[in-house]
Amino acid sequence: MQLDHLHIEHFRNLSRVELTPGPRFNVLTGPNGQGKTNLLEAIYTLGSVKSLRAQRNAELIQWEQERALIEGEISREAHRRQARIEIGATGKRVVLNGTLVRSIQDYFGTLSAVVFSPDDLGMLKGGPSERRRFLDRAVFNTRAGYLADVQAYESVLRQRNAVLKSPSPSAGLLEVYDEQLADYGASITQRRLEYLRDFFPIFRRAFRGIFTLEGEVEASESAQIAETLALGYGASWWSPSPVSVSGELEVPSLEALRTGLGGALRRGAREDMRRGTTCSGPHRDDLHLAFLEREVRSFASQGQLRAIVLAMKIAEIQVLTERLRFTPVLLLDDVSSELDRDRNRLLFELLKRHPGQVFITTTHRDFIQLEGEDVRSWSVRQGALEPR
Amino acid sequence: MAHQDPIARLVSQLARLPGIGEKTANRLAFHIIKEPAAFAQELSEALLGVKERIGLCTTCCNLTETDPCWICQSEKRDSSVICVVEGTPDLMAIERTGEFMGRYHVLHGVLRPLEGVGPDEIRVRELVQRLSKPEQGVREVIVATNPNTDGETTALYIARLLRPFEVKVTRIASGIPIGGDLEYTDRVTLGRALLGRREI
Repeated sequence: MQLDHLHIEHFRNLSRVELTPGPRFNVLTGPNGQGKTNLLEAIYTLGSVKSLRAQRNAELIQWEQERALIEGEISREAHRRQARIEIGATGKRVVLNGTLVRSIQDYFGTLSAVVFSPDDLGMLKGGPSERRRFLDRAVFNTRAGYLADVQAYESVLRQRNAVLKSPSPSAGLLEVYDEQLADYGASITQRRLEYLRDFFPIFRRAFRGIFTLEGEVEASESAQIAETLALGYGASWWSPSPVSVSGELEVPSLEALRTGLGGALRRGAREDMRRGTTCSGPHRDDLHLAFLEREVRSFASQGQLRAIVLAMKIAEIQVLTERLRFTPVLLLDDVSSELDRDRNRLLFELLKRHPGQVFITTTHRDFIQLEGEDVRSWSVRQGALEPR
Repeated sequence: MAHQDPIARLVSQLARLPGIGEKTANRLAFHIIKEPAAFAQELSEALLGVKERIGLCTTCCNLTETDPCWICQSEKRDSSVICVVEGTPDLMAIERTGEFMGRYHVLHGVLRPLEGVGPDEIRVRELVQRLSKPEQGVREVIVATNPNTDGETTALYIARLLRPFEVKVTRIASGIPIGGDLEYTDRVTLGRALLGRREI
């Protein structure tokens, strides 16, 4: 899958952009605040309709403009499609090949893009919400229905929390929300676990590859270390927690998950009322990662943590490639500046092996160890692109 | 308030209507100014008339000029079935189909605690009171709130409230529209439609 042409109007600081990317590496160089990330965000938004950072559509529209426009020509083997997203202050309109798309799920898969940004690098050290965001984005890319579940869950959660905060919460109403949360929560959890089950073996392979490439240990030793790699899904409302996804994972049935979450919500109602918020459910769950029987977060070095995240992103791309049966577009947002020289070399070794289209932003062109015919370069200054 | 410019006053009132922004309010105001005085007279009387003469039906909470409303008065309607709707526009939509011959109950909203709309803010108590009178002979309550999360919450809440009564509580089906195409139906709808399948 590749983006053959991109046209942007009034998206954040990008007044007007025409870009004809190449099928392999596309490098965008420029100082901070010039619009490089906005360009990647436009591509991501074209793919997922959701934006990367903004909560509100108005934030995506250039100052003093009424609407933003992102238009792309996308090809997948012989298929060519024209996608267009119009962003107004109150909503988005999606048009595919000249026809208005009524349900986002019908648009799903038109342009699949995986983002890799400095935020991801901090994922293992940061709070659980960053790991959930990684997981949710990965699952969403492979399952169209997931987004609807997450949105419904969040909407019910907000209503339930409002009941909890009210002076005299209605028990009957709480029970109704518990029932709905258990319903959507079970579906979300099941999809996350199914994803992790498919993700783990690929992640382990990538992890082993990276440790070997890192040159820190011999190949045989890294294979042994990789054997001790353990990934768990932590859910306070489920027993046992964390659910180990490293071995033969049998994903619990929807019914079992629903009963489990429903029970935990009922038992926690009093505590939830005291705190004014819902303490258990997939919105509080977390990923646990360990090797050599130690939790990664607490003992791995900064460099190792980044190498592991790199392996996770590679696995995410591979799972997606297998699921979609074509290569997604890769968006790398200024990742090189956050990696040391050896890991940068590693990143570019891996990228050269990745067959698809890649967009890379950087502040210094020297960071990007890519040369040759399949590399196209642009400078980005004040929202404008210039070939270089 | 001292002397406010009459045009500004009209514009600011019109802009309070849902879906009307500043621009549209301006356009409407200047249209009214341009029209003969009789139009403004008629419009203002219509506005006042609506507030003076329309109230809630004491039986079903429908908006009505007479009490009980024409549906509750009608002897041709089946009193054993009550269809619960969010608002009068939904009632009118069902009436237009001509498929339903039972009676209604209008909630005037759905549960949205986040916006301060709890069970006391919509007309659920009136529904319970109505069912507490066995002489009404209600056998089935069809909950026809919208198929979104708030509509679903309200439906589940009503089902829970009505449990003590000997009455069947049903939910309207949701699924693929007639003339629709399976291939282009979103998965949530398709999943629902499969769950709610029926024998043929």
